[in-house]
Formats: sequence, structure tokens, C-alpha cells
Amino acid sequence: MSQTLTEKVLSRGLTGRTMDGSEWREVEPDLLLGHDATIALVVDRFADADKPLAFPERLFLVADHFAPPSTVDRANVLRRFLDFVERHGIGGPAGGTFQMMQGICHQVLVESPRCVPGSIVVGADSHTTMAGALGAFATGMGSTDILAVLQTGTTWLRIPPSDRIVLEGSMAPHLRGKDLALWMMRTYGEGGAGWKALEFEDCTDGDPIPMDSRLTLTNMSVDCGAVNGIWVPDDLTRRYFESNGGVWPTDADLSPDPGATYAAEHRLDVTNLAPQIAAPYSPANVSDVAAVAGERVHQVFIGSCAGGRIEEIADAASILRGRRIDSRLKLVVTPASQAVYRAAMEDGSLTALLDAGAVITNPSCGACGGIDKGLLAAGEVCVSTSNRNFRGRMGDVDARVFLGSGLTAAASALTGRITDPREVMQ
Amino acid sequence: MIRGCAIVVGDDVNTDLLHPSYFFSLDPKTVRKGFMGAVTSVDARDEDKSRVIVAGRNFGCGSSRETTMTALKLAGVRGVVAESFGRIFFRNAMSLGMTARTVPSLKGFATAGDALCISGNELHNERTGAALPLDPLDPFWEAVLTAGGLIPFLTTRGDL
Ligand code: SF4
Repeated sequence: MSQTLTEKVLSRGLTGRTMDGSEWREVEPDLLLGHDATIALVVDRFADADKPLAFPERLFLVADHFAPPSTVDRANVLRRFLDFVERHGIGGPAGGTFQMMQGICHQVLVESPRCVPGSIVVGADSHTTMAGALGAFATGMGSTDILAVLQTGTTWLRIPPSDRIVLEGSMAPHLRGKDLALWMMRTYGEGGAGWKALEFEDCTDGDPIPMDSRLTLTNMSVDCGAVNGIWVPDDLTRRYFESNGGVWPTDADLSPDPGATYAAEHRLDVTNLAPQIAAPYSPANVSDVAAVAGERVHQVFIGSCAGGRIEEIADAASILRGRRIDSRLKLVVTPASQAVYRAAMEDGSLTALLDAGAVITNPSCGACGGIDKGLLAAGEVCVSTSNRNFRGRMGDVDARVFLGSGLTAAASALTGRITDPREVMQ
Repeated sequence: MIRGCAIVVGDDVNTDLLHPSYFFSLDPKTVRKGFMGAVTSVDARDEDKSRVIVAGRNFGCGSSRETTMTALKLAGVRGVVAESFGRIFFRNAMSLGMTARTVPSLKGFATAGDALCISGNELHNERTGAALPLDPLDPFWEAVLTAGGLIPFLTTRGDL
């Protein structure tokens, strides 16, 4: 039978165990992604069970949310996670990967050769979907689900129906992955892709859609409810993966079958899309930037797993180079990883942003998720490149967050008002 | 059978509203305090009593933080009925033995404070006398819930 890419990838992990009358089947993942905050929640229960780890070598553990910690409570959460890592020798004698303060787990994973196209990734965080940009099946789960994977090496999943999203035309110079992701949110609403897989295919003319943009789309797939977002691998995927030191899996079939069945198909011509923005308090409350332009902005945040990559940072630098923002506006730049930080340092972006009046923080989740440095006061307005503008997520419940691309964020920082980047692009 | 006093919310109520991230902690007291932290319409948030949540579409979307489910349990929530669930929230509910069921439409079924009862495959409003059939649960989740959660389920099967 013809299969979608998600069906193909998931089928490879089926153990054969099923339950009568149920659509859920047992699946063996290739990799388990975990971070300090959510893994800390299972450490005690894991120790009480007194069982070995099913597959330490498949673990990819990252201390990012609370590293370095900003409160005593968080220092204790991080400690519990680090004790677990040490006790089980993760990233050491037991195999697997452990990294601390190298960046947000999702970004660190896609920069690593362990994010293998065609593999199955489960993660203790909703935005695990991001790894699907490399052609993996990647999905997030809660801590007890993850505890079960740690102990048994398997999990129970349903092979979801897929929607196909085809991007065509040629990308206008003012468009980035975030604009496309917001178009997707606008199309689906917050739950519109609920319990489905999204399969993306780049059919644009000219240069392929860059990996940083693709990552934003698969990242935000979960924000319209999808189980996973998977990008059909192409030459660019291969170049990106190999530049990370990956060995291309020549035995895996990484294309959907021609006759595969899709629940729906959406086509987006990226030639004429205007820059998109999500207004409070939903990432699906999307309009063209022009519709909300002019609103006073108190903070601009460039960061997160959805928007703290070199794409956003270099874009912001390109708009702000040689210019200066209002000294009362907080421009907070939090690179998604040390690799991004280093690249932005080397290409001069960080200097341009510092000169323009930005503060550069350590790579981490930062203000996204209200974790660290850059929380908002009641009544403040922020333009952010992150993925969620829920009430209270980035500070006071009466703060208001708009989500846009790095270009939109930087244009708004420059003028102090929500601004369509086309007005200021040089 | 599950009995509780109704909390009624609308569509797309995410986990940041149900339990803001600054209540994320290993200390149950802190976790409990965050219950419905940004859902301003809920009365008596600090009181521990038996509750049933009635929600619209996509309930519990957003973050995977399981502390949200722990907070619900600590505050006395015994069951959640919604038109649909965010996938991770639903899995977290099942994994921790919390009843989470869907019904095609709940519009106008309950107002805050109504005495609700989930019995077998039916939802009753004891104040209005109305009743609705619940959508059937997939047999896998039915078995997980009956066992009291994912870990007890896997233990009974001999997987753990
Ligand atoms: S950057 Fe934000 S969305 Fe991404 S993992 Fe961190 S808190 Fe979650």
C-alpha cells in the first residue's frame, strides 16, 4: 500500500505488539530527547523502580531550561537532573549524549549527527516536533510517558493521518519560515491539525527554503495540534545533515509514495504572501503585519527554539546595522545555541546588534516560557520571534506578545512600533 | 463513578493558563498553588474539592509539562470532559490515571458549580437533570485508565 512519509518512518519502528480493537501500537524509538526540567520530574520514580535504563545509548539529554539556574528552586531541579545523568553515566561510559549550556535541546539535537533522517524521536517537550525538519518522525510527550520509554525502550503510538503542505512559487525577500509558520497557524487554528501529521514539501523555484526556516515550521506544527511535522528530505537536508557530521542513511526510503493518501492538502504560493504576525493571546490569531502596524512596542525578543537561529539574528543585524534603537526599548537577543552564538559573533551580527542597543544573553530558552531574563510587565507589548504568545507565558498576565519573523521584530525595534519590515529593509 | 463540582472553560485553553510555568517545581505545594493560575474565571482556586472540568475544543494544548496534570489532581479534579484534547495533555491524563473523555458538543451543558457525575459512558448534570453519552475510549487507553495509569498498566502486563 502507498504510504505517507510519516507512515513509512513509523512503520520501521513497530514491534508488532498491538491490542485488540485498538489503533495504538507499540513502537521502538531510535532516540529519546530530554531536558533538565521535564526529566527531573521522573528521576525519583525511576530510582524507586530500581530498573536499568532500557537503552542509555539512545538518550540525548540537554540541560537548557534551567542552566545556568536563576532561582534556588531551579538550581535544585537542575541538580536532580545532573545527578541522574551522572549516576547513569549518560554521555560517558553508558553512551548516549549529554550537553549542558550548549543551547536549547531542540536546536542542539538538529545540529548533531544524531538527528537522523528517517529515524523516530520521542522527546519530553512539546516542540520535539522540530526535529522533523530533517525527515525524522519526532513527537513530544509528558514525563510519565517518557518514564515508560526509559524503562521499557518502547512507547505506544497511533500512526496518524497526514496532511500534505506544499510550498511553491518563489520566496519573496521579506519572507521567512516564521511567516510561513504563521500562515500555517492562520490556516489551521490552534487545534486544526489535531492528532494529525503534517508533511511539508518544498516545491519552490530558485533557492530551496533554508533549513532555519524549515525548522520553524516543524517546530510550530505542534502549535496547531499536530502529532509531528515532517519535511520531505531533499538535497538541502542532506547537505545540512552531512555538514553536522551525519552519515546519510542510504538504506532508508525517505520519500512518500506517489499514491499515498492524505487527509487534506494545502498549497501556499510564497511569492505574494505579506509578512505575518500573531496578536495576543494565540499563535493562531494571525494577520498581515500591516493590520496591526503602529502599536507601541516596549520589548523585542529574538530567541527560542522557534526563532533564535542565525536566520533571525543575521536578519535583525541587517536591519539594525549602523542604526540605534530608542534607549527605553528592551531588545533582548538570546541565541538558540552556542553554535548559533558563535556564528553570529563571527559574521559580525552580534556587534551590529550591540551597537544598535541590544543585550545578548546566554543561549537558553530565556524569556520564552517566562524562564529567564526578559519577562514583561503588565501592559507591556513585546514583539517576539518565539512560538507561543499565550497569556502570562512571558511575564505578567496583562502583558501582550506579538509573534513575528526576525525581520518584523527588528523593524519594530527600530521604529518602536509594530512595523512591516518592507518599510525599513535596506 | 466520578462526582465533582463543575469548572467550565472555553476552547483552546492551554497549559500555560491552566498552570503558569513559574509554578513549575519539584515541591507539590508550589505546584498546587499554580492550579488554574491564569484562568481568572475560576472560583475558589485555593480550595481542594472534588471537581470535574467541562471544556471546549483543544483543551490542554501547548506545553508538555506534566506538573499541569499534577496540579489538577492536587486541587481535586477527578475528571475532564472536553470537545477535544491537546494530544500531550490527553496522554498525560491517561498516564496519570485521570479520566479524560470527549463529547461532540458541550455547549450550554453546565455552568460553574453544577454537580456533575461521570458514570460509565455517561455524563450527568445533577442540577439540570441533563445527560450526554461520552465518546468511547480506544481500548488501549481504556486499559491504561482502568489500571490507574501507564506505569501500573505496563506493570500488570509484565512489561516492567
Ligand atoms: S525555547 Fe521556549 S518553546 Fe522552545 S523549548 Fe524553550 S521554553 Fe519551550
